[in-house]
Amino acid sequence: MNIEGKKIIWKEYQKEIADDDFFYVRSCVRQSFFPGSETTFLKILREVLGKNISEHPFHTTCTGIAYHSDIVPFETTMTVIARQFALMTEAGYHNYVPSCITSFGMYNEVLDTWHHFPEVEKKVREFLKTATGKEFEKPKNLVHSSDIIYKFRKEIAAKGKYRLINRFTGEPIRIVEHIGCHYAKIFPSKGIGGAEYPHVLVGMIEEWGGEVVDYPERRHCCGFGFRQYVVKANRGYSIACSQKKFESMMPYKPEAILTNCPGCPFFFDRWQYALSEMEGITYGEDGQGIPVLTYEELAGIVLGYDPWDLGLQTHQVPVEPLLDKIGIPYDPEKKYLGKNGEYIGKPAIAGNLKFCH
Amino acid sequence: MGRLYDLLNQDVRFIEGLKACINCGTCTAICPAAEFYNYDPRILVTTLQSRDEEQIEALLKSDFIWYCGECMSCKTRCPRGNVPGMLISVVRSLSQDLGYFVESEKGRQQLAIKRTIGQWILDHGYCIYPQEIELESHPEQGPVWGWITDNPKEVFGRFEAHYQEEGPGILRKIPQESLDELKRIFDVTGGTERFEKLEEFSRKKAEEMGIEFSPGQKSEYYLHVYNFNNNKHGKDEH
Amino acid sequence: MMGKKVIVIGGGVAGLEAASSLAAFGIQVTLIEKEEHLGGHVGQWDRLFPSRRPAKEITGYLTERLNEKVIVHTGTEVQKIEQSGKTWNILLNNSQTLVSDALLLATGFDLFEARKKEEYGYGIYDNVITSADLEKKFAQHGQILNAQGKVPERVGFVHCVGSRDEKVGNLYCSRVCCVTAVKQAVEVSEMIPGCEVFCFYMDLRMFGLDFEALYKESQEKWGVHFIRGRLSEAFENQDGSVLVKVEDTLASRPLKMKVDLLVLMSGMVTSSGTKKLMDIMGLETDENHFLQPADRQLQANETGIPGLFLAGTCTSPKSIDETIADSRAAALRIMEYLNSVDS
Repeated sequence: MNIEGKKIIWKEYQKEIADDDFFYVRSCVRQSFFPGSETTFLKILREVLGKNISEHPFHTTCTGIAYHSDIVPFETTMTVIARQFALMTEAGYHNYVPSCITSFGMYNEVLDTWHHFPEVEKKVREFLKTATGKEFEKPKNLVHSSDIIYKFRKEIAAKGKYRLINRFTGEPIRIVEHIGCHYAKIFPSKGIGGAEYPHVLVGMIEEWGGEVVDYPERRHCCGFGFRQYVVKANRGYSIACSQKKFESMMPYKPEAILTNCPGCPFFFDRWQYALSEMEGITYGEDGQGIPVLTYEELAGIVLGYDPWDLGLQTHQVPVEPLLDKIGIPYDPEKKYLGKNGEYIGKPAIAGNLKFCH
Repeated sequence: MGRLYDLLNQDVRFIEGLKACINCGTCTAICPAAEFYNYDPRILVTTLQSRDEEQIEALLKSDFIWYCGECMSCKTRCPRGNVPGMLISVVRSLSQDLGYFVESEKGRQQLAIKRTIGQWILDHGYCIYPQEIELESHPEQGPVWGWITDNPKEVFGRFEAHYQEEGPGILRKIPQESLDELKRIFDVTGGTERFEKLEEFSRKKAEEMGIEFSPGQKSEYYLHVYNFNNNKHGKDEH
Repeated sequence: MMGKKVIVIGGGVAGLEAASSLAAFGIQVTLIEKEEHLGGHVGQWDRLFPSRRPAKEITGYLTERLNEKVIVHTGTEVQKIEQSGKTWNILLNNSQTLVSDALLLATGFDLFEARKKEEYGYGIYDNVITSADLEKKFAQHGQILNAQGKVPERVGFVHCVGSRDEKVGNLYCSRVCCVTAVKQAVEVSEMIPGCEVFCFYMDLRMFGLDFEALYKESQEKWGVHFIRGRLSEAFENQDGSVLVKVEDTLASRPLKMKVDLLVLMSGMVTSSGTKKLMDIMGLETDENHFLQPADRQLQANETGIPGLFLAGTCTSPKSIDETIADSRAAALRIMEYLNSVDS
């Protein structure tokens, strides 16, 4: 593989990312399954980078999952999105940063539709006014939260305590990167690096000392499929997609999977567990799963934050083997403690996945 | 042009998503649903392009249009700028508005999605809400999820969450005023109407099928559409 | 026609034949070519469709026919072009100035930069090459080997790379790639007995009289497989082979296949030389980015500007026989013009 060919493409797909004064909207999936990630994002932006990032307590879901499951009409989703923009306008911000990739895709899709069909935008403004009395301005800059971490990856590396190096062998940690489909497949120019060779996570991994692993099914969807997961009868599709990716990446021996979408790390994490239970297969070395990380978690590891503050205990596939490799200290006794340090029980041990306590 | 085609054409996404298809198959080549299901996005687009009323009606009543996972991989490849994944949204919308969705096994599942995701949006303001995701219906969540949902305040509290409290933060309680605004948005934009149609058409179908129908997630019809798979959806089955 | 001067910019097939045709009538022709060699693209090729005659036969004929009275500047580019009245004034990059009564643009085509079709990985994956790369291998008469030095057991040809593709901004068909793919498929089958050859096509444009026969031969004699589906994606496996994803649209099945060598049939685009002239002269192009003649059927060699003429692939993709016919037609139109200017 000739990396120079990729570099030309990465240069061609750059986009403007605002520098400060961000309006942050949370992700439904991440709040439930990776709560540490969003907290870490805000912490990095405020404490490490000194940025102003605001969150409005009245913001809701963008209805993305409902929209892509097709239970909600386009007009409804557009008007909910308009309400989110109205909250941004009320708070005095112009730089909109969603935490969710599906949302990011939705916001871009809606703005694009309004651009080509101004009469639709007019109708939505009327809907919003009628339903809520609110008015909105469109954001001047709309980027995903992973774009911001990408933009400041050098600053994060400079303040970092750890590099992504295996301390026993001296080799960089081999990491597979996975981009959420709605990041760049809908509008390649809105993704850093475009749709075919996205750079947003590659940039982070390389800046922080790791090695990027490319493999044939890199672009394949993780399999969320919205309705294909939400309805139990359809989940075979979802797990099959993830399995296809695991089988394709396994010969390249990745030591971690990094993703920038809410759903993707959830599926990679849980479907590895499910496959280990159903078929006894594990895809990591030595009977282990491949740890799955969000970019905030990876940034947090590099910055030396306590893994349990990052939320790694909410993963089903244990991340400890990776932490041991890098040399990140952690207290196994504190893993499952509650918010005030109280003991609140532990999850049962997963059957076929090697688990360390 | 037929009635159904005219209805499709009223959706702005139909105009955006269907330029002209040359049957090259790059969409199907890359489609995850076409890998596993008996689905072919190219066939979807050419069927719509044919403007054939009978074929389109059959499409709206079939399992075929429910296989797509809306990943939009098709959009990256089409040399004519068509978007099969978006056209799927259009036909699914029409299928539900006309009540055709209850004629297929996969279409009938829309009720389950409405009663979960749809309801959670109106009740909580989130698409996904931890207390609503039960281990029994989501065994793949794994034991860690049981631990989380047994101790949500303590677990989420570790991450500076404001679990079910007011103010900003993870899983905060979204104020009733905001939820009311959300509901009013649903009312004026046709969202509420869609939800009511999903219930009404499903109720009639349940009657036809002789299955018990009542609100919530314990009703026989709900459990049927949520769980049942005739195992004939794979690539080589018909 | 004595005393009349014509400058021809471009020393490929069209430029050479137009220059010869004009010189045969006593017109003083100056031919300017930016490369060191004459013959354009054809000079780089091995054998030509449909008969597989050596390309040297064409370039040999054209250069031999080139009247010794034609003044040839190779390795030279045009810097400035101005028209005052009916006279053309050209400044070359070697500071020489030329004057003429008519100007013929025969600046040809470039091949589509295959790396722009990102999902095929040209320039990234070692075993993804273009038809021009393959033709060079043929011209070198050595063994056809893949990047790992192995004789390929399976070769794939991808039609329509950079053509019929709004994503890369080229809606049009490049005309000759289909028959070139069939020709190269036959040549590979001939050179590597037992090699499985696949052509991934959307339509097979066998428009020339003997093209269909070539297609038939490729199937009957050489067993080339034709899969009707546009290639969606290529990726490199660990062993260097290329994994391709395509739909067999006639069977309505998506399929994945491994090939040892993937050949991209790059289409024709307007040449960099033509683009430079467009800038210098303020010329317009059509939506296909080729030079726009006054009327594609009735005035295919004329522009709206008196004394400015066009020939060859700078106006549209063409085969060699079409280019030669077009350049002779251009010469005739130029002579009509020069004649009318006289009286």
